[in-house]
Amino acid sequence: MRILIALLLIALPALPAAAQGLPPVKVGFASAMSGPSAITGEGVRWAGTMLQEEYNAKGGIAGRKLEVYFADNEGTPAGGVSAVRKLADVDKVDVIIGQTHSGACLGALPIVKELRIPQVTESCSNPKIHELIGKNGNEWGFRVNPDDLMLANAFAKSIARGAKSAVIIAQNDDFGRGAEAAYKAAFGKVGVKVLGSEFFDRGQADYRPLLTRVKRTAPEAVLLVMLASDGSVFMRQFRELGLTQKIYARGSLATVEFLHQIRDNPSLGDGIIEATYWSASIDPEWERKWLDRWKVPVRVHGGMAAVTFRYAVVPAIELAAKKYGRVDRQTIRDALTQIDMPNTPVGRIKFDDTNQAYIEMLLIEVRGGQLKILEKVQLQQ
Amino acid sequence: MEDLLEQAVHGLTLGSLYAMVATGLALMFGVVRLINFAHGEFYMLGGYAFWFAFREAGLPYPAAAAVAAAAMAVFGLAYERTVIRAILDRTWHVQLIATLATSIVMTNLAIIVFGTQPKEVPTTLSATILQLGGIRLAWHRILVLVAAVVIFGALQWFVARTKTGKAMRAMSQNREACAVVGVDVERVARATFALSAALAGGAAALVSPLFSIFPDVGALLTLKAFAAVIVGGFGYVKGAIAAAFIIGIAESLAAGYVSYAYKDAIGFIVMIAVLLWRPQGLFGRRIGI
Amino acid sequence: MRRIAWTLGALGLVAVPWIVAGVAPGQRRYILHILVLTALWGALALSYDLVVGHVGSLSLAHPAFFGIGAYAAALLATEARWPFAAGLAAAVGLAGLAALAVGVPLFRLTEHSFAMGSLGFAMVTSIVATNWVDFTHGPLCITGIPKPALGPLRIVTLPQFWWLALAAVVLVALLYHGLTTFRLGRAFHAVRDNEGLAAAAGVNALKYRMLAFVIGAALAGGIGALWVGYINVLCPSELAVSVTVNLLVIVFLGGVGSLRGVVAGAVLFTALPEILRVAPTWRLVIYGSLLLVIVVKRPEGLETALRALGRRGARAA
Repeated sequence: MRILIALLLIALPALPAAAQGLPPVKVGFASAMSGPSAITGEGVRWAGTMLQEEYNAKGGIAGRKLEVYFADNEGTPAGGVSAVRKLADVDKVDVIIGQTHSGACLGALPIVKELRIPQVTESCSNPKIHELIGKNGNEWGFRVNPDDLMLANAFAKSIARGAKSAVIIAQNDDFGRGAEAAYKAAFGKVGVKVLGSEFFDRGQADYRPLLTRVKRTAPEAVLLVMLASDGSVFMRQFRELGLTQKIYARGSLATVEFLHQIRDNPSLGDGIIEATYWSASIDPEWERKWLDRWKVPVRVHGGMAAVTFRYAVVPAIELAAKKYGRVDRQTIRDALTQIDMPNTPVGRIKFDDTNQAYIEMLLIEVRGGQLKILEKVQLQQ
Repeated sequence: MEDLLEQAVHGLTLGSLYAMVATGLALMFGVVRLINFAHGEFYMLGGYAFWFAFREAGLPYPAAAAVAAAAMAVFGLAYERTVIRAILDRTWHVQLIATLATSIVMTNLAIIVFGTQPKEVPTTLSATILQLGGIRLAWHRILVLVAAVVIFGALQWFVARTKTGKAMRAMSQNREACAVVGVDVERVARATFALSAALAGGAAALVSPLFSIFPDVGALLTLKAFAAVIVGGFGYVKGAIAAAFIIGIAESLAAGYVSYAYKDAIGFIVMIAVLLWRPQGLFGRRIGI
Repeated sequence: MRRIAWTLGALGLVAVPWIVAGVAPGQRRYILHILVLTALWGALALSYDLVVGHVGSLSLAHPAFFGIGAYAAALLATEARWPFAAGLAAAVGLAGLAALAVGVPLFRLTEHSFAMGSLGFAMVTSIVATNWVDFTHGPLCITGIPKPALGPLRIVTLPQFWWLALAAVVLVALLYHGLTTFRLGRAFHAVRDNEGLAAAAGVNALKYRMLAFVIGAALAGGIGALWVGYINVLCPSELAVSVTVNLLVIVFLGGVGSLRGVVAGAVLFTALPEILRVAPTWRLVIYGSLLLVIVVKRPEGLETALRALGRRGARAA
């Protein structure tokens, strides 16, 4: 009898928010919802919508109803500023997940510091961001994803086992440029000779002149820094020209999205080995729910936003409620510095004193229309 | 040497694409004196029409291509009746801005309707490789080149031999005289629009199997086609075709030998150079299409 | 009576930070931020309208001059540690010089060729800014651009930025007004409306076109310097051709050739997305449609349309 009462008393705090009347917890998602990169913002928006439904069906977070807000940063620094200000001042969110694109991230960082609102970045890749957050000057910025400076050493070591020379082919934006710089340096350290770097604009379609150049240069391997939508066209032309280099990738080639684009001829992707930090296969339930809801293959940008929400922001909200008794921008920020989630699909999420998390690098191989995780590498500081 | 040849072959595919799109632009400017900044969107919509017919409805390739061209011809007529009628007699500023506005509307409606994920439409020919010595290319590229030549030939015949075609040429030379002589100026304008749009749709059906279709594909294409039209001499169709091939090959060579990242600048640099040196275009200020 | 209205208006504008704090205290920083952007866009649109509205040259090169000024100010501040005022002067000067260099060959061209040539210049500038990574940082962006400091005066808070932006748009407006009225304005308009007649009357069209073009470009460069002082990060996206599209929307929606119209256009353009709160893609559909309707039905712009509506209303009453 006493045990029953004790159990009931323990179970009491888990009752839904309605019974306690706590204010809702508000989370803002900022991404590029218009402009040339609108496809990334769409993924983030869809993820946010699904997460709101999922958590409110479970009774909210820490007994509070979840309200999700979205802002468009247009992929530019000024847009990042506007998105943060809108989410903070108009929607009055407690925490921001964003901004997907480095230009917007860089623009947003001084503002989250000014407004004292925590921002957890799910996929901005510019290494400069790491130099700016945490004890480096901005305690309100956090980042879950690694940048290529962090991935390069591990991936380059892996590539060096298979090739002694390489050409880097990268998309002409912050992601591609940052990756190219990081791998050029990392390749040098492991003895892979970089025979050249080429940049292409996203959405352009004729890679053949570039491929002919690669053929002439004759490296043993190519490192592709590109997303699925460009990668599928690229691989068709790669095979068309009969190139036989080993293919390594950073981007979103080892994804269901890519497999969907090449479904007419799955062998197009055979042999691609990609280093990434998110894959549909690490979270099959999310993939299933996404496919059911949106009828298109699951997307990396939505996936990372969901992981960031589930395994960084939600734990922080819960910790804030438990430890400080209230959920607001300051307590969430403080809680973020303390969370330690060792078993998330992307590895361990724990922010160091530079507010950066060190998740796992996945090496994924594409073969016969299937994705196979070859290796998981814990990233170092 | 083989390398150079291969790059030139790439340039021919690009050139065929630019030439087909530029021809439509040149026709519209030549016959009706209209600047159409939304022409690239005709290509984009033609691409989606082709995708729908080929991938979704399962039509065989030639039928799907015909559907794309026909659908765009109908769209061209509708566009002429609505947007163009209203701006045909206005200054070219108004025409440029109005067509630019429709370009924005069409691109963003395409994002809403079709989504941002690109559509791929590979065909058997685009996956089958032909080996010529050391050069490998998909059979589909040969198709593109052959089709382009056939289309230009047919256009030439159309303009020289058919009543409507001859009226188009006459209108491009002297519109007032045409009206005086009794040419149905309105009908010829409509026909020009339908033809231009059909050309864009056909180009999309031809080229999409090698690349992909997405809402923004028309933007850069419009600009490069304009560059070709200017370099060829505003309104002179043959000039535009030649200029388009020059730009396509120059772009491939620049991409292959100078820098791939800067290749898009080539078209504009060529255009600027021609504008500075011969403002009337490479082939002089010709009267008529 | 009018003087009182003007003075009240001016005082009102200066007092905006307090008015906003009083009316919407919880959102005041966001509103001020939007107002700063509006003022900067308004200034930029006015500098563009000098060329488009008053001498009738449809230049598509304006973002290039804005970008040249922005990059000049950003690089001088971060790499060479130039003080803000010097960077601003350099931005204005370099943009103006670029316009001079580009204008001479461009203005030899007729109409369509001029537009396409200017567009070509804008595209090449954008491509260079993106790819000359060693110099411009390309897509990796220039970060850490310092906030403006004029001597002991440091511009850091939003109200201070508002006053800076307000000063900028007022300065540009005054210059715009001065250039487009009096004899100079009449010369501009003669060139715009009937170049042949103007030439017959002894008005050198080229001289006046170049004057408007260079001044417009120099102003755009200056606004670029202010922009990077406010946002503190500069990426090549700021130079994209889409900036021209935005400027065309503002100028034509508001009223080409009219100071009040252009300013109204800037307010509409920046405020509308906030009021509409529709999905961003739909917002662009709406802009495009509005632009199309306005330019077809009433190329003078929204302001004239509203005034006509007002007159009709007054007559009915």
